[in-house]
Order: sequence, then C-alpha cells, then structure tokens
Amino acid sequence: MEELRKYVACILQRVDGLLAIIITDRDGVPLVKVALDSAPEMALRPSYLSTFSAMATDQAGKLGVGKNNKIISIYSNYQVIQMNKSPLTISLIASKTANTGQLVNLENDLLVVVNDLASSVVD
Amino acid sequence: MGCCCSTDKDSNQNGESNERTHLLGNAVSNNTPIQRTPYDGLRYPGSVPKPTDEQSALNKILQQTATNVIDVAALDSHNLEQHEYVERARQYIQKAQAVQPVLLSKYSKLILAKNSAVLKDMPAIDNLLIDSPICVMNYHMMMKNSSKISKALNEIHIEHKEDLVVPFAIP
Repeated sequence: MEELRKYVACILQRVDGLLAIIITDRDGVPLVKVALDSAPEMALRPSYLSTFSAMATDQAGKLGVGKNNKIISIYSNYQVIQMNKSPLTISLIASKTANTGQLVNLENDLLVVVNDLASSVVD
Repeated sequence: MGCCCSTDKDSNQNGESNERTHLLGNAVSNNTPIQRTPYDGLRYPGSVPKPTDEQSALNKILQQTATNVIDVAALDSHNLEQHEYVERARQYIQKAQAVQPVLLSKYSKLILAKNSAVLKDMPAIDNLLIDSPICVMNYHMMMKNSSKISKALNEIHIEHKEDLVVPFAIP
C-alpha cells in the first residue's frame, strides 16, 4: 500500500499545479489520498467528493448522450477533475492554471492503481 | 365589421362558416379509425394476460421511468456518519494491506519507470530557467564530445560482404 501511495505521489509531482489525487469509493471514503498542503481542505471532504459519484455522474448519464465518464469543474481558483471508474472514483484537484489536458491524461497512469484497488479492496 | 381582414367572431359562434372554418370540420377527430394491430384478432389459448403480469409490467415501466428521470432536488445526499466513515476507511486499509506483497514489486518497478524516463515532465520550469548557467569548461567538454559522437555516427557505414538475396537450390 505504501508503494502504491508513493507511485500516486510520484504522479502528483509530475504535473505542475496538481494539488491532490484522491481515489474514493461512491460515498467519498478515500482509499488513497495524496495531497499537498496547499490543496483546498473543502475539496478533500467526503461530502464534496461523494457528490460526483452519488449524484452528478449518474444523473448526467441520463441526458441522452451516453454514459458520463468525467466531470471537469473549473472554479475561480481551482479545478477539479473527477473520473468515473465504477465502483471507484478518481478526483484530481489542481490550481486553475494547471494544464487540464495533462491532468485528464493522468487517467492512463492512474488506471492501474484503480484496477488493483478495485480488485483487492472492494467486495 | 367594415374593416378588411376582420373576422366576425359572432358568426363563428353561431355555427356559420367563414374563411377560418376548417373545411372538414371535426370530421377527422370524430371519425378517427380505431388503430388495430394486425394481430389483434389472434389470441392464442392460454395467452390471456394475468392481472399480476400486468401489474408487474406496469411497475416495471414505472420503475424504468423513475430511473430515467433527472430530479436533482429529490436526491438526498447520503452522507455517511463520522464513525461509518472511519470504520470503512479502516477496512479499506486492512484489505489493501493484505495484498501488499503482490503490489510491492509491481509499484516499485512502476515508480522506477516513471523516474528513469529520458523525457519527463518538469514541474516549475521557471525555477530551472533562472538557475545559473553551467561553467564554460563543462560546456566545451559537452560540445567536444557531442561533435566526436556526431562524427562517429557519420562514419558508420555498411560493409558489403555477401549477397542479401540468397537463392535456394529449388529442384
């Protein structure tokens, strides 16, 4: 688990402006959480993280344009990218100046972690 | 009235026809043929729908509709209690620890691969750019070596020794 966290931390350092990577379950309970001190505390709370998987992605999937895979939210100071990897969710919290395309591309690197966690942790 | 294009509403109410009266009246709506499917007359013995089947079918439709409806206001955000949250996080850690030996070597390799790449993302590039330049001696050494390497690469050539196409002795 420690190695896995190190790997996620290694990915965190690779993108300028990325402040936190959190892999949670549907209710926002974190399985892996790597965050810099400058990450906004509000965005790390389960109540915030769970809104994506519990509501947003499911509802967005009903709009008639297929299943929802990612939601990118850009705020005045931060951006949050949440990826639906059912039963888990990847949340990337970054500063508003971070390269969004680079963040979205981290999905490839994080997929291996999510798959391992999903198979080992979730029943 | 005397105005051109005006319509006399009273005459309409009295049932008199004017330019806005439909020519066919309500003929279409009154005489709509009952839509019958070609298989209406065919009833197989034993295929009479039971009330329970009908009810379950209706429930199914109702459930399907409820699933498809987007009603954000009706969704209650199911927030976990603090102790549930802590308990579940602890369980996840325990389960993850159980598979640790398997993941250990895999992630060690992945970390190594990420760190040892020739090209990699450089966060905070401005810090690197404002750094002091390398000393002149190192610069000359690099230039000399790179020119030697370049020269050596240019001198690589293929030496012809034997034919590339070898004909086999086919009878």
